[in-house]
Amino acid sequence: MVFIVRYVVRLKPKPVGDFLLCVGTAPGISASPSEENMRYFNVMILGPSQSPYEGGVFKLELFLPEEYPMAAPKVRFLTKIYHPNIDKLGRICLDILKDKWSPALQIRTVLLSIQALLSAPNPDDPLSENVAKHWKTNEAEAVETAKEWTQLYASGT
Amino acid sequence: MDSEDDMHDANSVDDDYYSGDTAADYCSDDDCGDYEFMDHDFEDPHDIVAKHQQKNYVVLNEADICQRQEDDITTVSTVLSIPRVAASILLCHYHWSVSNVHEAWFADEDRIRKTVGLLERPVQFSIAKLLTCGICFESYPLDRISTAACGHPFCSTCWKSYMRTSIDGGPGCLMLRCPDPSCSAAVGQDMISRLASDDDKGKYARYLLRSYIEDNRKTKWCPAPGCEYAVEFVVGGGGYDVACSCSYGFCWNCTEEAHRPVDCSTVAKWIMKNSAESENMNWILANSKPCPKCKRPIEKNQGCMHMTCTPPCKFEFCWLCLGAWTDHGERTGGFYACNRYEAAKQEGAYDETERRREMAKNSLERYTHYYERWATNQSSRQKALADLHQMQNVHLCNSLSLSLSLSLSLSPQLEKLSDRQSQPESQLKFIIEAWLQIVECRRVLKWTYAYGYYLSEDEHAKRQFFEYLQGEAEAGLERLHQCAEKDLQNYLTAEPPPNDFNDFRTKLAGLTSVTRNYFENLVRALENGLSDVDTQGGCSKTAASSKGGAGGKGKSGRGKAASKTGGPNDDSQRQIANLFLFASPLGWLLLQKL
Repeated sequence: MVFIVRYVVRLKPKPVGDFLLCVGTAPGISASPSEENMRYFNVMILGPSQSPYEGGVFKLELFLPEEYPMAAPKVRFLTKIYHPNIDKLGRICLDILKDKWSPALQIRTVLLSIQALLSAPNPDDPLSENVAKHWKTNEAEAVETAKEWTQLYASGT
Repeated sequence: MDSEDDMHDANSVDDDYYSGDTAADYCSDDDCGDYEFMDHDFEDPHDIVAKHQQKNYVVLNEADICQRQEDDITTVSTVLSIPRVAASILLCHYHWSVSNVHEAWFADEDRIRKTVGLLERPVQFSIAKLLTCGICFESYPLDRISTAACGHPFCSTCWKSYMRTSIDGGPGCLMLRCPDPSCSAAVGQDMISRLASDDDKGKYARYLLRSYIEDNRKTKWCPAPGCEYAVEFVVGGGGYDVACSCSYGFCWNCTEEAHRPVDCSTVAKWIMKNSAESENMNWILANSKPCPKCKRPIEKNQGCMHMTCTPPCKFEFCWLCLGAWTDHGERTGGFYACNRYEAAKQEGAYDETERRREMAKNSLERYTHYYERWATNQSSRQKALADLHQMQNVHLCNSLSLSLSLSLSLSPQLEKLSDRQSQPESQLKFIIEAWLQIVECRRVLKWTYAYGYYLSEDEHAKRQFFEYLQGEAEAGLERLHQCAEKDLQNYLTAEPPPNDFNDFRTKLAGLTSVTRNYFENLVRALENGLSDVDTQGGCSKTAASSKGGAGGKGKSGRGKAASKTGGPNDDSQRQIANLFLFASPLGWLLLQKL
């Protein structure tokens, strides 16, 4: 498979295969290209320990646009998640996916950043207004809700 | 409801106008204390004009801009002993202010280097034979790898697309950094020239040039469509009006078309109002009007307001009010003018709805009155400008400054005139001067209608004074315009050529100078917020404290300042009458004789 990916990427120079290998080695993260479209990846991220998402398995989709790596990949949560920087459509508010994107970043670094975002929610730069408000007014209760949602939607089975 | 808004509008403008620092509006920076011509009450009007035309701006073409940019880069590069590219990046960050760069640099060089991304010592990159590009992870020989000062290696292909993405993204490319996410080393024009495609190099250079004008506080592009000149403005004495070499005149402060003596906020309000009302205006002011007598539709294509219907009707009427020309006299504000709007008097008891409807109608009518006159003067000016250009042949026109060196090669029209009247060409300058004056006066007159609209109905004395001055000026202008347009035609076409050309010269030159005086009075009065009325009418506090005795003309002699109201009582009427004497050119002459 790595061979095929390299082949695809030769066309637009960025050997995705290289990060695929890296992705494999990053703990709690996996990404594999879809059979029909080599630019589309199915991603799984394990909820980091000591976070309300611990024990959850979160599915995401990742798409490499035509301009990649000059433009950022498009990433979205498929699993419902209660997080101030992720809205109910699964869109993620993360600077490196927007204006701070650099072509020297990779799929691996992007996914690691998303994992880090799960460990450290940032309610001051919210995407989901309600969740962020909840987080700021009553963090303990918000964390409880996040745990419940993890149980409900991300329990892996 | 309309009308109430209007009232409110009008009232709020009052505050601006009469608070006594109109001058401050004109030059918001430091030294606006001496708003020149207000200080010298009895100055020769010509001196005033000369002063006002002292240019406080420079028009720059592309070569000038490049030259200035190069010079600034050289200065910074020399003073700080840094490469030119680094100097350019620094200047870009500091909005092209050489002094700010120097100041910041000498205050804290390390901090500046850090924020801007200039490394003191370039990192030597490894001497390995092959290097891995940080973007595509392919290995390349050294000659295919480039780095910014930080030493992060990327291949030429990746650099090229990195640069293209950034340049396509807009002027932000001028602050380009190393692609490595943790690195802030700046990427300057030298690397762009080495690595970007030719197309992108061109775009980058364009952005750099534009940045020099757009980010600099002292320069702006001329807003005329298609014009490529920029204007550098020196804040200080004089107004904000700027005349670009493309002949477009604009206000430096708000970049609207030149609007002296009316201030920027009034203009902004007026333009907003026009766009809001434009749907109404579309049908109110169709492009043609029916002849008031024979009802045939007439399109106005000549400059002045005195219309003559085509035979057999030959009815003469005023384009503005459609009244018979023979009726034009004192009642409408003078023979050649028709500037007064007399609000219909409300009599008897109206019920509330009736009254409101009436008010709304009045408000619209009032607006229409001013808009129509504003718009007509605008198109009249366009026509006059076209006529002027035709006369000049060459477009040396600088519509604001009237004392231009005139074109040497005469237009066919003037040549013809020169032949027919056996006049040396140099003797025909007065015609061009007349047209320049017409163009400028149409512009001023146009804006005085915006001013008039926002002048409160309650300020009777000011209104009266304003309308008097405007009426005088307008009448003068109509006479001048008619003479330049119609009388001149006689000398061009009539057979045999009339032999009183010298009389015509005297008449046109005289009208030009009289009209200039009228408009100078008008401009002056509006620029000090009609404060002469305050001085005279009793509200002397504001006037006395306003800049340099703005209304000083009559103040010293007749400082009775008796009545507090300033309303239209007998006393103030008489004082206004005095004022009129002093404000008219005749008054000027009398004063100068004294």
